[in-house]
Amino acid sequence: MDKDKTNQEKKPIGARWEEDQPLVMPGIRRFQFFTNVDDRALTKNLNRLAMFGIATVLAVDVGKAVVNKNPQTIYCYECRACYSTQDKCPVGIQYQAELVVAARVSDYDRFCRNGGLKCIRCGSCQSFCVQYLNLAQIFGTMQQQTMKALRTGKIPERIIRNAFRNGLINRDFIDEVTEFLNKGDSV
Amino acid sequence: MEYLGYITLTIFVVTMVLTLFRKINLPVQTVLVLVSIVSLIIGAVFRIVSEGLNSAILLPNEMIGGIILHPITALLGGLFLAGALDATQGFDALKVIIDKLKKTPIGLTGTLVILINLPVIASLPCGRIIAAALLPLLFAFGYEGGMGILTKTQLVVLIGAFTRNAMGSCGPSPIGGVGQIGEGFLGAFFPTASEGILRSPQAFSLIIGTAMTALFLKIISEKLYPDDVSLRDRPENLPKQEQTKISAVSSPFRGYLSLIIFVASLLIAIFQPFGKMPVQTVIVAGAILIIILCRASIQDLMNGIILLPVTAMASGFMAAGVLAATGGFDALGVILKSLSTIQILGVAGMLAIFVQMQTILPLSCSRILTAALVPVLYLFGPAKFNMVTWPQLAIVMAAYIINATTSCGPSPLGGGGTMGEGQMRAESGFIKGAYTYTAMAVMAPLAAIYMKFMNFTVFSPDNPEFSQNILTIIIYTAVIIGVSAGMMAFVSRMAGENSAYNWRLQLIYFLISGGIAGAVLSLAVYELKVLEIVQGFVGGLIAAFLIGVMVPKTLSVVRKTT
Repeated sequence: MDKDKTNQEKKPIGARWEEDQPLVMPGIRRFQFFTNVDDRALTKNLNRLAMFGIATVLAVDVGKAVVNKNPQTIYCYECRACYSTQDKCPVGIQYQAELVVAARVSDYDRFCRNGGLKCIRCGSCQSFCVQYLNLAQIFGTMQQQTMKALRTGKIPERIIRNAFRNGLINRDFIDEVTEFLNKGDSV
Repeated sequence: MEYLGYITLTIFVVTMVLTLFRKINLPVQTVLVLVSIVSLIIGAVFRIVSEGLNSAILLPNEMIGGIILHPITALLGGLFLAGALDATQGFDALKVIIDKLKKTPIGLTGTLVILINLPVIASLPCGRIIAAALLPLLFAFGYEGGMGILTKTQLVVLIGAFTRNAMGSCGPSPIGGVGQIGEGFLGAFFPTASEGILRSPQAFSLIIGTAMTALFLKIISEKLYPDDVSLRDRPENLPKQEQTKISAVSSPFRGYLSLIIFVASLLIAIFQPFGKMPVQTVIVAGAILIIILCRASIQDLMNGIILLPVTAMASGFMAAGVLAATGGFDALGVILKSLSTIQILGVAGMLAIFVQMQTILPLSCSRILTAALVPVLYLFGPAKFNMVTWPQLAIVMAAYIINATTSCGPSPLGGGGTMGEGQMRAESGFIKGAYTYTAMAVMAPLAAIYMKFMNFTVFSPDNPEFSQNILTIIIYTAVIIGVSAGMMAFVSRMAGENSAYNWRLQLIYFLISGGIAGAVLSLAVYELKVLEIVQGFVGGLIAAFLIGVMVPKTLSVVRKTT
C-alpha cells in the first residue's frame, strides 16, 4: 500500500503509464492518447489552431482574389510559361507570373518591383499562358488597385520610390507617382 | 533586411532538420505554421523599425502570395475523381481489363511497366492527380487488395516506382509543368525553348530513374527496413477455394462507364481539345458526370479526399511565403553564390551543389523553391554574373529541373511520396533513400548528358553529329546505370542486421554516387577539364552528404511508455 502511494507520488503530472491504457487483448494495450506516441502532438489544441490557421489562410488567399475583382488569378498554375514572352513584351517585363501572384494577394511590393506599373496592357504575354488567362486585364485591375492604395497611403514610399528610380512606372501613372513622391520629399 | 533573410532561413532550416530527426514531436503542419508565425513576427518587427507600420501590415499579403493554389486544387481534384471511381466500382472494371491484358503478348510485366510509366506518359501538371486516382488500383494487385497477383515485395516495388514516376511527371508537362519555369528563362537565348527544350531530358531521365528506384527499393530499402511495411503476403496454406475467389474479378456496367468517363477526363485534361482550361475543371466535371450517370453519392466522393497532404502542402507554402517575403531565399542565393569563391569548389562545385539543392531541402511541392531558385540560376549565366555560357546554363538547368521536380517525392513535409508510403502501408521515410538517391545520382546527370548530346542537336536540326550523339547518350546511360546498379548490389550484399552499420554503408554509397554525379555534370558542362571535374566531384560529395544524412536509420515509431 505504502509502495503504491510512493509510486503515485513520483508520477509526473500528466504522465500516463502503459499499464493505465485500455487492454485490447491479453498483453496488448491500445494507446488512448496521441501524446503517448512520440511523433504525435504535444497538445491537441495547438494542432487544431494550426489547422484553423491553414484553412483561414487558404480562404483568405482565394477570397482576396474574388474581393479584389481579379478571380482569374486563382487559375494560375504558376508554371511561369509566360516568362517566354521575353522581348515580345514591349516594355521588357520579365516575370509576368510574379505579377499575377501579386495581383491575387494584393502584394504591392512584388507588383511594383517586377514592373507591374510599367505594363501597357498590350496582351502580348497572353498567348504564352497555358491557361490563356487575360493577363492584360489582370495587370490592369491590379494597377488600378495599386494606385488607389497609393492615394490612400497604404503603400510605403520605399516601394514606389524604388519603382520610380528603376524606371518601372509607365506614362499613365508617372504624373501621379511624381506628385506622391514630391509630397513625401516636402514632408 | 539582409540579416532578416539569414535569421528566417536559419529558423526554417533548423526547425525542419529537428522535425525530420524527430527532435520536435509535432505534426509537420503545426511546425510549419509555427515557423511561419515566428518568422512573420520577426519580419514585422524589422519592418516597423526600418520602414514603418504600413510596410509591416503588407507582410501577411506577401506570405499568402507564397501559396500556390494549383497543386492543392489538383490534389483535391484527383482525390475527388478517385473517390468517384472507387465508389462506382471503376477500379473493378480496370482490374478486369488488366486481368485480360495479362493474357496478351505483353503479359503482366509489360502491363505493369506501362502502368508505372503512365504518369510521365500523361504528364499532368501535378503528379498527385494521377497518383491519387490510380494508387488504390495498384494496391488491388496484392493479396489484401483482392486480386492477389503480386507478392508483398512486388507490390512495394510497383507502388514505389509508380509514385516516383508520378512525383516527377509534373516536370515535363506541357500544360503548366514545373519545367516551364526553366524553359521560360532559356527562351532568352534559345528561340524555341518554350516548345519544350527541357521536356525530353526530364522524361528520359525520369523513365530511367523510375527503373532504378524500383531496383533500389527491391534490393536496398527492403533490406534496410525489413519490418516497416505492414502489407501482407498471401498465406501459403490458403485453401484452394479462397485462391480462386481472390483471382476472380468482375465489375458491373456502371464500373465500366465510370472508367470510360475517367479516361475521357484524363485525355481531355491532357490534350485540351475544347480549348485551354484548368485541369481541375475537367477532372471535377468528370467526377460530377460519374455521380450523375453512375449513381454515386457525394458522400462517396468526399470519402476519397485525404486532408493530410493538402494541409501539409498549404503549410509548406505558408512557410516558403514568409521566407520569400523576409528575404530568406535571397540569403540562400547569396550563400550558394559565395560557395563558388571557395577554391576547392569553384563554379563547377557550386553548380553541382546547386543542382541538388531541392533534394537536399525537399519541400511539399517543388514549385516553391523552383520559382525562387531558377531566377538565381538564370543570373549565374550571361544575363548577369557570366559564370556560365547559355548552352552551359541549359545543361545545368536540365539537371536542376529534374532534380527539383522529383523533390516532392521524398519530402516528409507533405510530399507526394507519402501517398505511396500510405498505400504500401509503410512507415514514413521508407521511400526516402530510393527517391533521393535516384534523383541525385541517376536523373540529374542523365538529364545533363541528354541535354548536351541530344537536345542541342534537336533544337538545331542541321547538326550532322546526330547519330554519333545518340551513341554517346547510350554509352553514358549504360555507364551511369551500370555503376549505380553495381554499387547497389554491393551495398545490398554487405548490409546486415545492424541498422547503424547499414546506414553508414548507405551513406558511403550516397557519397561515392554523389561525387560521380557531380563529376558527370561538370563533364557535361565543361567537357574534359580536370580541375572542373574534380571540383564537380567535391560539390557532388557535399550535396550527397547532406542528402544521405537525412535518410532515416530506422523507421519504426518509438513508443513512449513512461
